[in-house]
Amino acid sequence: MIEAREIYHRYDQNGGDVLSDINFMIDRGEFVFFVGPSGAGKTTLFKMIIQEIVPRRGLLKVFGQDLTRLPRYRVPYLRRSIGMVFQDFRLLEERTAFDNIAFAMRVTGASNREIRRQVPYVLELVGLPEKAGARVCDLSGGEQQRIGLARAIINRPAMIIADEPTGNLDPDTSYEIMNILRTINIRGTTVLVATHNREIVDRLQKRVIHLEGGRLTVDEEKGAYAGVR
Amino acid sequence: MSANGFLYACGEALRSLYRNKWMTIASMGVVIVTLLMLGGFMIVNLNLTHITQSVKEQVEIVLYIDDEATITERNELRQKLIAHGSLAEVRFVPKEEALQRLKEQMGDVVEGYEAVENNPLRDSFELRTSRPELVGEVAGELAGYPAVGDLYYGEETVDKLFTATRAVQLVGLALMIGLAVTAVFLIAHTIRLTVFIRRREIMIMKYVGATNWFIRWPFILEGLLIGILGAALPLVVLYYVYQASLEWVVANNLRFLTLLPSSLIAGELAKYLLPLGTGLGILGSFFSMDRFLRV
Repeated sequence: MIEAREIYHRYDQNGGDVLSDINFMIDRGEFVFFVGPSGAGKTTLFKMIIQEIVPRRGLLKVFGQDLTRLPRYRVPYLRRSIGMVFQDFRLLEERTAFDNIAFAMRVTGASNREIRRQVPYVLELVGLPEKAGARVCDLSGGEQQRIGLARAIINRPAMIIADEPTGNLDPDTSYEIMNILRTINIRGTTVLVATHNREIVDRLQKRVIHLEGGRLTVDEEKGAYAGVR
Repeated sequence: MSANGFLYACGEALRSLYRNKWMTIASMGVVIVTLLMLGGFMIVNLNLTHITQSVKEQVEIVLYIDDEATITERNELRQKLIAHGSLAEVRFVPKEEALQRLKEQMGDVVEGYEAVENNPLRDSFELRTSRPELVGEVAGELAGYPAVGDLYYGEETVDKLFTATRAVQLVGLALMIGLAVTAVFLIAHTIRLTVFIRRREIMIMKYVGATNWFIRWPFILEGLLIGILGAALPLVVLYYVYQASLEWVVANNLRFLTLLPSSLIAGELAKYLLPLGTGLGILGSFFSMDRFLRV
């Protein structure tokens, strides 16, 4: 599903290396944690997977397409098969939960009927069926992240990328969010999570890729944050 | 774009216009002011061209008969004029009629010249050529005829009028281009502000896989609406102002100002201002978008 070979990147000519010598493969249906200190290159790597950034060197294949050669007009279609979840939720705060989720469907040209059928279903899945009409700014952080998750899965993407999804949440809520991600994964969606949350990584016993200083230092099946160092 | 997408874009455009009321009013104000000036200028320009044209068509030669000429000479001159191939109209104006006309035009000023004896004017012929551009040529020829005292035709006046009209048109064109560029710049700027306000929304749209056109449409429709509404108001205002000016011209006996009818002016204005307004709106929104689409 994702093939990264010899990926190298830096932001400008005089800047330091952001990523170098990155190699890994991720198969369909995997659940992978990307861990490591801030500035290790996790977010850059995620941005590469949605082609917000193109690596300066190396090969990055997602769904069999070489992203270093993907024409710009194809990028929106790539992104429709990837659900994004962010630490700061990135929701339209003045709009309702329903609108925020529907928004991602409208982009793909879905009809109002499909939207009315699909949105309550995902709201149920993230455990907020009664919040459809609530404005996002009136929801708690945990609820907002659930809406973010619902938005990420509404178009049934093949892969979910979550960049620090629990970074702004308390431990209990974090665990709930991770559980939803795990449920999504069990249903067949590939899930990539960048996190600092040691406890969750250790508890879930999933594959762990550790980045440090722009290099991949550990890639371990059923790994643990603690096991990294 | 699908029907769903179009309806969505329309809804978004209207919602945004309403949400950013003040910005909308500002952009529309820019279009309104620009098009008001432009339209006003167009009206002046159209009428100047029209007046010049009608003056040109009315150009006639006034041939004053030499006071010393005998009756025979006068008759011979008359025969020659009537037989002339390039003259479409030959009219004899006796000096009494000339005085009468002068009185009608000037009123009290010529009081005292009542009597035939002290009429200072001369008998004349008023001639119209078959084509206006022949005036100069024919006048030159007639000047050599016997019994011809003086000969006047409006060559210089017409030339001056044409030069003036051309100058006004050039200045107008430059002004119009300047105004149009300013309008595009200002609209682009105001829409850029609304885009800036919504940059977060645009960023999210990009992340969930919106194409650039999906994002652009609502903004373009927004620009279009600003343009149409911004053009409609000047159109209505200019029409009524022009109508009022026409009435004023008639009321003040300035009939020599042969102005175009307001229906024709309205048609001309609509033909240029509406496309211009919408064009400015669309162009403005187009220019302001691109920076925000690079995510």
